Amino acid sequence: MLEMLVDHETVCTDPVPASEAAAEVQNLNLYYGAKQALFHINTRFAAKKVTAIIGPSGCGKSTLLRSLNRMNDLVPGVRVENKVLYEGVNIYDPQIDPVTVRRHIGMVFQKPNPFPKTIFENVAFGLRLMGTKGSELEDRVVEALKRAALWNEVADRFKNEIGLRLSGGQQQRLCIARAIAVEPPLLLMDEPTSALDPIATQAIEDLILELKNRYTVVIVTHNMQQAARISDRTLFMHLGILVEEGPTSLIFTKPQHPYTEAYITGRFG
Amino acid sequence: MNKVLDTPQTFNGDTLKTRIDRVFSRAIALPLLLALLLLAVLLGDTLYRSVSVQVVRPDEGPAKTYAFGLSTRDILYQELLARDYTEDEVKLSLEDPTERRVLMLQNRVELMWNTHEGPFRYVVRGLRDDRVADFSLLQGLRRWDELKANLKPGEQLILNPWIDQSFLTRPPSRSPLVAGIGTALWGTVWVLGLSLLLAIPVGVGTAILLEEYLREGRISRILEVNLRNLAGVPSIVYGLLGLTLFVRALNLGPTILPAAMTLALLAIPVVVVTTREALRAVPDSMRQAAYALGATRRQVVFRIVVPSALPGMVTGVILSAARLIGEAAPLLLVGAAAYVPFLPSGPLSEYTVIPVQIYLWISQNQPEFARVAAAGIIVLLMVLSVLYMLALYFRNRFRREW
Repeated sequence: MLEMLVDHETVCTDPVPASEAAAEVQNLNLYYGAKQALFHINTRFAAKKVTAIIGPSGCGKSTLLRSLNRMNDLVPGVRVENKVLYEGVNIYDPQIDPVTVRRHIGMVFQKPNPFPKTIFENVAFGLRLMGTKGSELEDRVVEALKRAALWNEVADRFKNEIGLRLSGGQQQRLCIARAIAVEPPLLLMDEPTSALDPIATQAIEDLILELKNRYTVVIVTHNMQQAARISDRTLFMHLGILVEEGPTSLIFTKPQHPYTEAYITGRFG
Repeated sequence: MNKVLDTPQTFNGDTLKTRIDRVFSRAIALPLLLALLLLAVLLGDTLYRSVSVQVVRPDEGPAKTYAFGLSTRDILYQELLARDYTEDEVKLSLEDPTERRVLMLQNRVELMWNTHEGPFRYVVRGLRDDRVADFSLLQGLRRWDELKANLKPGEQLILNPWIDQSFLTRPPSRSPLVAGIGTALWGTVWVLGLSLLLAIPVGVGTAILLEEYLREGRISRILEVNLRNLAGVPSIVYGLLGLTLFVRALNLGPTILPAAMTLALLAIPVVVVTTREALRAVPDSMRQAAYALGATRRQVVFRIVVPSALPGMVTGVILSAARLIGEAAPLLLVGAAAYVPFLPSGPLSEYTVIPVQIYLWISQNQPEFARVAAAGIIVLLMVLSVLYMLALYFRNRFRREW
């Protein structure tokens, strides 16, 4: 069955027009040393929408997500070919500093990873890097905590409590607050609920739907129900190849490619 | 159905393994217990030796006492006047620094909690140099009555705890009764402080460079191998290096600075290794989170990684300081002097340190010096325990659950 993917052209229903795209991936190839991890990825991420990337383990979903803010650069031996356009600029252009890219594109990780500092300092970290100070800093921290739906729970202690003392779900919302405090137009989430219990997951999902109004969200998820619940578009990947993309409702009801259908109906993955 | 009840049988099959486990754990615990026992015996012996029963012939007892809060100089002034010196003589001798030092060495000003003129007053004691006999605690207490009955006029039977109120501040002396650990204690503080001042920046800097900047690569591996080798070099070799390089070549003489530099060389590998451990314990997810927020490498290292690793680093530094305190061998080579009557005044003054002082006391031939050495060992152990407790405190206070 694998030969079906050789020279595969992505099945793309209802493509995102270039004018509505927040980011665009053009024929992206990525190698870890000699091993190729992504093959000719072409897609666009719609602005102010939630895009989910699904696929079996090791299919390259996280790699694709991390190549959007050049986090892959931190892995030794990584090589990237061709372009990722963000606001019309190729972020892999040699003149672009990856640090600048990451200041524009926020990221939330699989495991909550707050810094061993107070809640306030956690959220303020990105703002301080950008030079925000004084009362503006405080206002924006509070604002970010409110938007991450954490404010009500920590309002009385956010300046003293260490971020690591919060529960897992709260920690993840703290990480989201930390990421959105700098107002990144594009927010990447790498399986943000896989380490959380159902109630915390519910809270994060509600939050993502809320965030959609302001930010473009790209979320990698293992959980197909979650993708169906919260995303507007879904990308299905397999073995480093973007097999199919389309509006979530269509992908889950009328998948075009046999692989997509097999994965969604639970026959592999 | 009875099969269920047979489960003990299956457990029985495992008893052999359990028994082997138990034997092994005992085999490991036994030497540990022995070592602890030995340590307890050593400590007990040291404590026992630091107290003795003595027959002494003191000077004239303290005739006068002085109010709490007076300075040593004022007390000596009044004391000397009371001994029929003229006011001019006293003034002159107290103004001359050499003479003042000699006077202060010959006349110990001690605080007593109970005097005939009320509690907490100063008395001036001369040298109780004329010892008559020294007995171990057991022997002394057993023969207490007999010794007391046989005292000659002017002699006194005392129970002498060698660590007394002024042992920590007195300078060393040829007479064991007045020998103190004051200058050695200050010498240790000076040498240790200076060597940490030199070792911490170099060691921590090297560790950060190796762990955060040169993670993989040949330089890192070569440095790593060399550091591990350096950590295993006997400390006397460092002493030889310090002697040739700092004392001779740089011509710094047998002073505090070259000693501190030698000890810093000794500490750097240890500081590097412990700091690297602490840095390595900071999970990569912290670094990733900081990078994802748009931090540069420098910001990730100095705003996230180093503060997170700080408790571990402090613990490592304190433990290496504890190791340095006990070092005598390299310092004997770089000139820890035998007899230093005055407190060190700066990095280029002569010095001695506690372990060297203990070593010198032990090699004296008067038996009383063994008691002084025991008291010195107890002081050293107390300083060490304070440092270890500090390390434990830092480890527990800032323990992190990632």
